[in-house]
Formats: sequence, C-alpha cells, structure tokens
Amino acid sequence: MTNQNKVLAHVSKYAVTYLFIALSTLFIVVSGLDINYVASQLLLRLNRNAFIVLALIIPIIAGMGINFAITIGAMAAQIGLLLTINWGVSGVPGILLAAAITLPLGAFFGFLIGKLLNKMKGQETIGSLILGYFANGAYQLLFLFIFGTIIPLNSNVTIVGASGVQNTLNLTGQVGLYTAVDGIAHIPFLTALYIFAAVLAALAVVQYLRKTISVKRLAVSLGLAAALAVVFSLPPIAAVFNGSHGRVIRLPLVTWMLILLLCLFNSTIMRTRLGQKFRAVGQSQTVANASGINVDRTRVIAIMISTVLAGWGQIMFMQSDGIGTFQTYAAHEQVGLYAGAAILVGGASIDRATNLQALVGTFLFHSLFITAQSAASVMFGDSAVGEYFRAFLSYGVIAVALIMYAWRSAQQRKAGQLNLAEETK
Amino acid sequence: MSEQVVEKTAKKRGSRFITSIVLFALAGVMLIASISGYVLRGSASTRANLDRMRTSAVLHAATEGLVDSIAQTARSAKLKELRADKNFRKRGLDEVNSICDAAMEEARAEAEKLYNNPVVEDEAALESAIETMESVLATSGQLENREKAAYAEIYVQLVDNISNWRETAAEGMDDAAIIEALAKTAPAIKDAGNAHLQPGFVRLAKDMAAAQLAREEAEQQGQLISMMTGAIADWTEYSGLEGDALWEKLAAELPDLNGNERFKDALLETAAKHIAAAENGETLPEEAATDEGAETVGETLADYSYFIPTDELAKERQDNEAAFEALNVQLVRIIPDLGELTGNLQDSLRVSLEKVLWPGSLDFSTLYDTYMARGGDAALTGGASKTLKLASLAEALLLGSIALMLLGLVLFFWETLTRRFGVPRTIIALFFIYLCLLAELYNISVRMMLGNVLERMTMYGVLVLAMMPGIQCGIGLNMGMTIGCISGLLGIVLSLQFNMTGFAALLFACLSGAAFSLPLGWAYSKLLNRMKGNEMTISTYVGFSFVSLMCIGWMMLPFNNPKIIWLLSGRGLRVTHSLLGSFAHLLDKFLSFKVFGINVPTGGLLFLGVCCFIMWLFSRSRTGIAMTAAGSNPRFAEASGINVNHMRTVGTVLSTMIAAVGIVIYSQAFGYAQLYTAPRQLGFIAASAILIGGATVSKARVSHVLIGVFLFEGVLVFGQQIANSVVAGGGLSEVMRIMISNGIILYALTQSGGARRD
Repeated sequence: MTNQNKVLAHVSKYAVTYLFIALSTLFIVVSGLDINYVASQLLLRLNRNAFIVLALIIPIIAGMGINFAITIGAMAAQIGLLLTINWGVSGVPGILLAAAITLPLGAFFGFLIGKLLNKMKGQETIGSLILGYFANGAYQLLFLFIFGTIIPLNSNVTIVGASGVQNTLNLTGQVGLYTAVDGIAHIPFLTALYIFAAVLAALAVVQYLRKTISVKRLAVSLGLAAALAVVFSLPPIAAVFNGSHGRVIRLPLVTWMLILLLCLFNSTIMRTRLGQKFRAVGQSQTVANASGINVDRTRVIAIMISTVLAGWGQIMFMQSDGIGTFQTYAAHEQVGLYAGAAILVGGASIDRATNLQALVGTFLFHSLFITAQSAASVMFGDSAVGEYFRAFLSYGVIAVALIMYAWRSAQQRKAGQLNLAEETK
Repeated sequence: MSEQVVEKTAKKRGSRFITSIVLFALAGVMLIASISGYVLRGSASTRANLDRMRTSAVLHAATEGLVDSIAQTARSAKLKELRADKNFRKRGLDEVNSICDAAMEEARAEAEKLYNNPVVEDEAALESAIETMESVLATSGQLENREKAAYAEIYVQLVDNISNWRETAAEGMDDAAIIEALAKTAPAIKDAGNAHLQPGFVRLAKDMAAAQLAREEAEQQGQLISMMTGAIADWTEYSGLEGDALWEKLAAELPDLNGNERFKDALLETAAKHIAAAENGETLPEEAATDEGAETVGETLADYSYFIPTDELAKERQDNEAAFEALNVQLVRIIPDLGELTGNLQDSLRVSLEKVLWPGSLDFSTLYDTYMARGGDAALTGGASKTLKLASLAEALLLGSIALMLLGLVLFFWETLTRRFGVPRTIIALFFIYLCLLAELYNISVRMMLGNVLERMTMYGVLVLAMMPGIQCGIGLNMGMTIGCISGLLGIVLSLQFNMTGFAALLFACLSGAAFSLPLGWAYSKLLNRMKGNEMTISTYVGFSFVSLMCIGWMMLPFNNPKIIWLLSGRGLRVTHSLLGSFAHLLDKFLSFKVFGINVPTGGLLFLGVCCFIMWLFSRSRTGIAMTAAGSNPRFAEASGINVNHMRTVGTVLSTMIAAVGIVIYSQAFGYAQLYTAPRQLGFIAASAILIGGATVSKARVSHVLIGVFLFEGVLVFGQQIANSVVAGGGLSEVMRIMISNGIILYALTQSGGARRD
C-alpha cells in the first residue's frame, strides 16, 4: 500500500473524528465562550462520563455491537443509590455501599440481557436499545408502585400522600453523596499532566530495558511525553489552566485514578484467556465455536461485565461535581445514547474499540455539547437550534457508524464471494 | 437428542393438562359460591341483616363525627394551655405537636368508650327515618346523575372543540351573546331542558378566557426567560447590577425585552439567580420554554363546579333536608350530645351520613362495602357476617370463575391456539378479555370505552398499515417510517400556513405529505438496499436522526403565518398546533352516529377500511405478489427474474407514503399536530401494534393490521381506565404501554434472530 493510500484509509476510517475536531474547533471559536470556562467544563464532563463510555468497550470487542442496554446498568446503580440514601449512609461509605449493591444487581441484569441478546444474534444493537426501553417500564413500575408500598422506604425519599419515589432526590447536604469521590483530593491539572508525562516516559524506559519495545517505540513515547510537557508549559496554553486567566483548573485525583484503573482493566483483561475468548468470538462465532469456545457463555460474560461497569459509571456520574440531584425517572434515559455516540466519535466502530478512542470520543463529543448552544445562538440567533443540533449529532453519529459498518461488511461479503467464485473456477 | 425433545414436549403438555384441570375445578367451586351468593341476596334474612348493618353504620358515622369533634376540642384546649405556659417558645414544633396529639388520642379513647354501642330504644322509628332518607337520597341522587350527565356532555363538547376562548367570550360581550357563540359548538346548550345550565356555562366561558390570557402571558414570559438564558453565556458581566440598572443593561443586549416590562420581575429574578451562580463559578442550565399547548392534550373530564341544578333537583334537595332533620331528631334521642353540635360539624355529619346512605348506587355489594367501611359488621352475629360477605362477593366470584375458566381453556388448547394465532396474539387477546372482566367488576362502562377504542383505531390504523408493505418487501419493521410522518406533518403545517380549512385542507395535507415522502422514501430505500440484514437497526437510527434534523428544520423553515410560529421571535414553528378550526375530527365526525351508547366514527373507519382494501388489492396484484416474493425469499425471487432491489424500493416508498397519510389522519383524530420530537416513537407504536396482530418481521397481512390495532388500542384504553381506578395517578397505564409495546418487539426479534443471520 502506498503512503498516500495509507493516509486516505486513515482519514476515511476516522472521518467522523476529524469532522468532530473541525466542528468543535469551529464552535469554540464562534461561541465566543471563555477558553478557561470551556476547558474547565470539558474536564468536568470528561471525568463525569469517561467511566460509562469505557464500559462499552468489552461488548464491542466481543462482537455484540454497542450495548445500549447499559441503561439497565445505570438503573441498577440508581436502585443502589436510592437504597443508600434511604438508609442514610453518606460519604465514601455511601458510594461503596451503592457500588456493592450495584455489583450483584448489575451482574444479574447483565446475565438476563446476555441470555436475551443470544437469542437475537446480529440484531444486538437494536435489541439492546429496545431492551433498555422495556427495562425503563419495569424501572418505573418498581419506583412508582413497588418501592414505598411493598418494599418500605423512609418518608424522605417517597412522595407524601402517594405511592412511589420522589421525582428528584437530593444528593447534597445531609445526604452527603455529592462529590463524595471527586472531593477527596484535587490536584492542579498541569501538575497532573506533568506526572502523567513522567509516568509515560518512565514506563517506556522500563519496557525498553526489559526489551518488550523497540528503540523506535521508545523514541516515540519519550517524544510524546516531552511534547505534552512542553506544549502545556507554553505560556498561552498554560495560562488557560494555571489560573492566570480565570480559575486554576484542578482534577479530582481519585476519580481519575479510577478511570485509569478501568482503562488498565480493559487492556489487561484482553491479555487473559477470557480476553482472547472475547476477541475470538468477536471475530467469528463459527471459528470460535469450532475451537471449543462456549460462544454464548462468553457473550453473556461480556455483557455482565459491561453492565456492572456501566452501573459503577453511573454512580461516578451521579456523585460528580455539578450534578447534585438525582432525577429518579430520567437520569438513566440518555446514558446509552450519549455514551454510544461518544465512543463512536472517538473513532471506534461497531466491532472495534480502544480505551483511547473512548477517552478521545468523550472529549470531542462533550466539547461540542458545551459549545453547541452558544454557537447556535451566535450563528442563528437562537440557542434552541443548538439543542436540536446536539440531539441530531448524537443520533446521526450512531446512524453513520451503523451504516459504515453495514457497508463495509456487505463489501467484505461481496469480496469473499468473488474470491470464492474465482477459486472454484 | 430428538427423543429428549419429544419427552420434554410430552412432559410440558402433561403439566399444562393438569394445570387446566385444576383451574376448571377452582372455577367450578367459585361458580357454585357465586350462585349461592346470588341466591342469598334474594332471601329475607339477608335483607334484614343488611338493614341492621345500615343502622349500625349510620350510628357509627354519627358517633364518629361526635368523637372527632371532642378529640379536636381536646387538642386545641391542650395547645392553648401550652401557649399560656412561659416555656412554650423553648419547645420545638415537633414536641408541641406530639403533646397535643397525645391529648387528642386520650380524649378520643374516652369519648369512644362513652358513645360506642349506644342503646337504641325506639328501633322502629330510627329504621323508618333511615329508610325515608335513603329513598329520598336515591331519587335525588339518580336525578342528579342524569342532570350531570347532560351537563358533562355539553361541557366536554365545548372544552374539546373551542380553541380560542378569548374570541368566544371576548370582553364586552353580554351573556346572551356568549351563549350564542357557545351554541355554535354545542347546539344542545339552547335546548329548553338545558336553560338552567346556561349561566354556569357563561361563567365557564369567562373563566376559560381569563385562563387562556394567563396562559398566553405565562408562555410569553417563559419564552423570554428561555431566550434570555440562552442568549447570555457569561453572566459575570452583569455581576453587581440589580433592579432597573440590570434591566436596562439586559434590554440593551436583548431588544426583545422592550415592551415586555410586565414580565420584568420574573426576568430579573431569573437573571439574579444566574448571576449569583456565575459569581460562584457555576453555570445554571438554560431554562427551556414550556409549550403550554401540550397540556391540553388528553381526555377531557367534566368539571362540575359550573353545574347548576334544576328547580326539581333543588326541591329534591330540600326534601333531603327534611329527611335529614327527621333522622337527626331520632339520632339525638339516642345520643343526646349530638344536639350540641354546631353548624359546621352538623354539616359534616350530614355529609358523612349521606355518603353512607347513598354511595352512588343501591347495588348490593356497593352497599355492603360502604356499610363495612363504617363498621356496620358490629350489628351482625354468628354466621350472618359470613353469609353477607358471600352475598356481596357474588359478582366478583362470577367474574373470577369466568376468568379462571378462560385461562383453563386457553391452557387446554394451548398448542392449537398458538399454532393458529401465535403466542403474543393469544396472550394479548386473553389479557384484553380479562381487562373487560375487570372493567365490569369496577363498574366502568365497557360501551363508552369501546367507543374510545374505535376512535383510537381510526387514529392509529393507517399508521399501522404503513408497516405492512415494509414487512412484505423484506426490510422488516420500518422504524424509519418517521420520515413519512414528518413529510405528512410538513403537509399539515403547509395547510395551516395557507389558512386552509375543511376537507380541502385535509386533502391538501395528505397529498402534499405523500408528495414530499416520495423522494425521501426513494432515497431511504436506496440506502436500505445496501444494508441488507441490518435494516431495522439502521432504519431506527436514520429515523431518529431525521427527526432531530427536522427539529432544526421546524425552527428554520420560512413559515410566517402568525398562527403557527412563535410570536416573540417571529419565526420557528410552535410545537403543538391545534387543528380546531382546520380539520380536527373532520373524518371522525363525518356520518358519525351513536349506537348502544357507542360513538361510531364512521368517516374515519371508512377511510381506514378503504385504505386496507386498496392495500389488500395491491398485494394481490402482479407487483404486490412479486414484492412479497422478493421479501420472503430473495434468492428464489432473483432466480425467477424478479428485481429484488426494485421491489424493496417499491415497498419502502409505499410504506413511507402511507405513513405520511397516516400522520395526517392521526392528527385529525387527535385534534392536534405535534412537531419536533413528538413523532420519534411512532414507529415503535406502529410496529408493536402490527406484531400484536400476528405479523412477524417477515410476514404481514391486512388482517394483522386490523386485529393488531384493535387489540393494542383496546388493551391501552381499558388498561388506562382500570389502572386509574385501582391506583391514583396515571403512571401505571404508561408503564403497561411501555412494557407491552417494547416487549412485543423484543419477542419478534428473538423469533427472527437466527433466521436472518445467514
């Protein structure tokens, strides 16, 4: 393949990503929003959403497409949070309790989802979407008619004079779940960045010394680390973060450690036997089956992991800075849509996804999210257009990704048939 | 392996057989119990016992009022005592409350000991007083029901059909003029028998006009707030400003604020909130403008506060007064302290007595339940209470027995039924019959609801029909039919833009909608032809994307009729458009008539019938047969010379065009056209209806459409009414809709899962 062809292939593969880079740059400029404000909002949303988006990776690799049923994981988390609030456990113990409740619930729901999706192979994306809608009905049944009547709850979470849980639950104040994880420790963004660059460089050196990577890779890694450190030290860029213009931007330390831990989990599990199974099933169920892998069981495990992780992601989202309330009947509704759109924006497709794609995608998707309204009111004199544009982007990105995937597999099928025809001749 | 399967099936069949036998036996027992209950109702001793319960309930209701008043007095006395104490302020509110409550409970217990089980000396006199009051109440109650029904009919007609109350009851119009204006919508208002209601309706019209004005003002205020919070990104610029200064700066930035000084306070309050948040480094979300039009959507219930009784009813009510006086005399003789009650308490006593003696009907089980709720069982001895309980349960037992028998029958013939009708259709049909039985049990009028079901069939029928060619041509459930729906909505909005009315508007909307959907459907079908095997996923998301894209379209398209755009910004279509005055209910009213109390929307049903007939003819034509062949077995069709892609295009375009007409029909039956995100879920509704009717993702017939839309809407209408009478609040029926609608699609997907993945 020539160099030019390589570039073309790369651009066509990441077309959506580049489009989003262009659009978000345009929007940031047009909206006239303060860059310090944009940066702080963006980081805030990144640490809020990254966890859930990362939860999508394993099912994608296992060939089950975008698991829109992560909304069900979010519902499990919300059951956990409700019980935690009900029992009055606050702070880090509260979050741990909610996570502990989410684990068995999410695993159980994931098991059921996996079983059902095994009955609709090839239609997992739409199946999980509709399953999410269906579960929303069951969730409402639970929260409106079963909680507070059959399962007794305290009066501080139920509607007075009617059955069911309140529309909005407060997480701040006495409840004490607001920023329970985010608030443990903060470090300035630039410090975090330098540490990150240093760790990157150190890891590369260690790997080189243990001879697992080549000199070329070492040079690239060291160069990247140095470039990161230098670029963010440049006065105009550093000024955005270090407080000389606006406020000092800080990162919630523990939240980011958890996000990085999840990235590590995602990449480590791929090196285990289970991870190999995921990959094998994702590439071809027939081949995997022939080589003795229990395909259905592997798929169920992938969905179970994804559901539990999504549930924990929802807890991270709920406790995060700037949320503060828990919309009992709506908080889970858009989870699947936004997470799915975000990972696709990062360059993932229906059958391939990496940690980096998830993080980049979340970053790009939310940069548009923050700026769309202001940009639209500048461009069209109406901020509502921005709101609709956001919705259009979310759905549109998913539609385009699905179309490109279907297109590619149709072409592969055609090519395969041609090859077969030629061989038989 | 196959032996195991056979064994398993045999086992399953065996257990079903046993279960159905058990169910039949249970049903038989319940039937016998029910019959004996009905027999008991006829016996004189039961009648006497019921009368005894009634007396006891009346006495109980009377003493209860007295005891309540004593307890309340004790509570306020305690509160006064605490107030006088100098430590009062040191106590918390909770403490004060608990002390007072304790005092109240103590007084209540004492009073109950004193007044419960009063001694009745002259039983006959009391009985006859109660008897008189009951019969008087029953006469006046029935009369009142009749009058209120006449009132409700006019009320619903008016409220459903008048869109602009400020025009109907404009300022300066006298009462006669308002009545004339109202009579244009509801001619019955001028009937001689309804003359007494007229002043009430005049008051209603005036109130509605005032409410409309308030709503419009609130809407404008909401829009201003939404515009302001959307336009201003950085509130810190306004930091430190307040009152007039803030207003001036805001008005300089946003010229729309000028001339809207009447909303100044609300706007400034919002601005202050945002400024305060900005100073703390937070950003509040933009306030979304609410669309007030959306609130009027839904079934209208009569509000009786504008009801005026006839003279006859007023006289009956006076008779009630006399009967109550007579009864009161008897009661005071038994419990002398009742005579001490003051006006207010006496009124409440009367209300509770009336509720005991006239619970809305004189039906045995209603009476029994009412008396029981008032402690009427105290009068019964030995086996009498059990006998009465059995008699009161006669209807419930009968219905339960029928339900069990049905379930037994369905289980018994399970294989035959599911082979003939499919699992979902069998289950949903059984569910529907159960809902009918439940409606009977809760005294909900089945006829009225059947009318509603017919209305909703005309509403959704054509939309569901749009699913059919999609399934036949092989693209499966066409979730992207929203593309057609949006074309249809565009047609409706155009007809509104040109101020068209009546059948011309309806025809124009249908035709132009179909015309728009033709190229869109064609392009969409070309896309789907390249995506074979993934159509449903892709069509869902293409539909979603198109809906959101058109949200921007509705904002930006150059419509300029002031009736349909946001007044303030001068552009952008509103979300909800009332079609009253355009073509609302036009088809449904056409030739409509009433039979057995069921409203038959003749025009709508005829239109649906004609559409179905044309579709049936089409599927028997050469093209139709070729299309079905291309859908059910593409390879075979290709081999026999059918252009599969062409046939898929025909089916997709047809589906999209029918959807465009469907949404126009839907909107005329609904009375409103809803834009923006409203059409997003229509594909799901249509898909679940046709699946319930027995279609699969690869096979559909006209009968599936009709059966499906009847069963689906029937379950929803009945379910909603019953859910509302079981649990307060509308949530349960919505939950049911979500679960049925998505559950059936999931079921269809599991059935197709293996087959489509070759």
